[in-house]
Amino acid sequence: MSKQVKEQGSIPVSKVQRAAKFISTGAKVGGNYVKHYAKKMVNPSMNKDELHQNNASDIYNSLSELKGSALKVAQMMSMDKNLLPRAYQDKFTMAQYSAPPLSYPLVVKTFQKYFQQTPEQLFDTFTRSAVNAASIGQVHQATKGGKTLAIKIQYPGIADSVSSDLRLVRPFALRLLNMNEKELDHYMGEVEERLLEETDYNLEIARSREISEACAHIPNIRFPKYYDALSSEQIITMDWIEGKHIKEWMDTQPSQAARNQVGQALWDFYHHQVHNLNQVHADPHPGNFIIQEDGTLGIIDFGCVKVIPKDFYTGYFSLIKKDLLINEAELNQIFYDLEFISNKDTEVEKAYFSSVFSEMIALLGTPFHVEKFDFSDNDFFNQIFQLGDRIANDKMFRKSNQARGSRHGLYVNRTYFGIYNLLNQLHAEVVTTKPAWLT
Amino acid sequence: METATAKKKEKKDHRQLILEGFVSHVLEHGKEPASIFKFAKDLKIKEEEVYNYFTSFEAVKSAIWVALFEETQRQLEEQEVYKEYSVREKFLAFLYTWIEELKKNRSYLLCLYQEKSSTFKTLPKDSRDFKEKFSDFASELVMEGKETQEIASRPFISEKYDEALWMQVGFVFRYWLDDRSPRFEKTDAAIEKSVNLAFDLMGKSALDSFLDFAKFLYQHK
Repeated sequence: MSKQVKEQGSIPVSKVQRAAKFISTGAKVGGNYVKHYAKKMVNPSMNKDELHQNNASDIYNSLSELKGSALKVAQMMSMDKNLLPRAYQDKFTMAQYSAPPLSYPLVVKTFQKYFQQTPEQLFDTFTRSAVNAASIGQVHQATKGGKTLAIKIQYPGIADSVSSDLRLVRPFALRLLNMNEKELDHYMGEVEERLLEETDYNLEIARSREISEACAHIPNIRFPKYYDALSSEQIITMDWIEGKHIKEWMDTQPSQAARNQVGQALWDFYHHQVHNLNQVHADPHPGNFIIQEDGTLGIIDFGCVKVIPKDFYTGYFSLIKKDLLINEAELNQIFYDLEFISNKDTEVEKAYFSSVFSEMIALLGTPFHVEKFDFSDNDFFNQIFQLGDRIANDKMFRKSNQARGSRHGLYVNRTYFGIYNLLNQLHAEVVTTKPAWLT
Repeated sequence: METATAKKKEKKDHRQLILEGFVSHVLEHGKEPASIFKFAKDLKIKEEEVYNYFTSFEAVKSAIWVALFEETQRQLEEQEVYKEYSVREKFLAFLYTWIEELKKNRSYLLCLYQEKSSTFKTLPKDSRDFKEKFSDFASELVMEGKETQEIASRPFISEKYDEALWMQVGFVFRYWLDDRSPRFEKTDAAIEKSVNLAFDLMGKSALDSFLDFAKFLYQHK
């Protein structure tokens, strides 16, 4: 990372430019999902709430100047390690802000840059203002030849800003997460990689296609078609999927059967990706799912895809085996492999962390331990939060300044956390299928 | 009659020839020609013929700036949607189109202006004619903005708005000269953000209400 710093530094930037960049940081990456993860979860009552609240305000104030990817990092780390208590998480929900939209002249310019034509020349109709904010750009609606299309346009210069944004957040993350620099970089590298991929629209189209084709057989889901001729590094053109987001759809009071159907489709979609494709749509936030009139689930936005390495996969998912929790030696080995505990730990630490992680895994794996799981069960989510808070407030955990957990876990955990959350919002009961090797 | 048009055409071509000759000289040699005499000789025209159009290289460079500006305006007017734009969008569209025009002549501009770019507060001196034309354009925008309430009328200050827009043009130019990002994406972002800031400042804001309130308190205490 420090090497990259130097390379970046070679670009001459005057004071004004730097200042402008600093201001602009906020505009770059949408931190929308922070809200979605923390929201809708049940509020556990906590005695230290007020204290955390104040702390959170301070941190938020410093962070709000950076926004964008900075917040994304803080939020992801908090989720992964459950280090940040609820109050912090709630405060981070304020990170939900709308990036200033691209002005229409800039949209026109972007089109001219890639197609030498204006949107009006390319499409039959084209909305002047954005209909939706995407994480690093915005979405316009257009029609052409009787088809309704969604056109995603990226903010210029985003890719460049990712690395520098992350550098800005480092000092905060260090203090916030009580880690040493090396440990932090271990995660930051992963985050940077994913964020950079997210800015690569060509890659996104390729992956969207690959995954949607591989998942085509799953009942009740639908993917948009992508149009290469109308896409480029900064523009993606795809079918417009008509329908409602989960929250709006729930307002129409769908039947339990309909909710289960959507929930099952979601589960199957992820099951197939994780266990058969070994790569996963790692951004399960509500904005990326659209429920259509007929109850099929439309899935968009493959910007963030995590490829799951084989050995991580095996270790991680053998943890959900129910009876494995009894076999301690095997479990400890997996904990080593997944970097939950390391040789740097003292015996006391090892024992403590093994017990904590066993408890966490037993809880998080609950849906896998039964044939069918009812995600409307708020108690389950309450327990997760309470455990998270308890761990976060535990001296043992706070003193340890080691990164715990493999870097790959960052996005896999986030994905499962996201799915659980979506299923909870749906109040769905789903058949929690497991891969054959685990049963 | 016939000869007159022919002559006129020839004249026009000469002007064009001089402009193009100047640009290609700068591109090939990395600097201005040594003298008008030498320049005319290279173009195979008489020295006094050059003086019919331009009396100095300053004037030539100035004409090139104006040509860039006029081409930008021509392109803007071609865009159907331009007329429907708000003032803010019009100014944005102007800058984006202008930068595109500059891009076609980047090497020429870099040769002449890169070294001095950091010392210039605004655009280089030989852009004076361009500035005049731009000021007309900017005043029109400001006037339209006041009509549509996008720009707040403030005593003294609002008369200087066209000047402020000019400074912004200078800022964008300098930023672009130093921009090393692929496809000049950073310049695009710089334009977007600086124009938004400028128009937010020119628009009616909390400051106006505050001043109004302060004035009221002062007068009626």
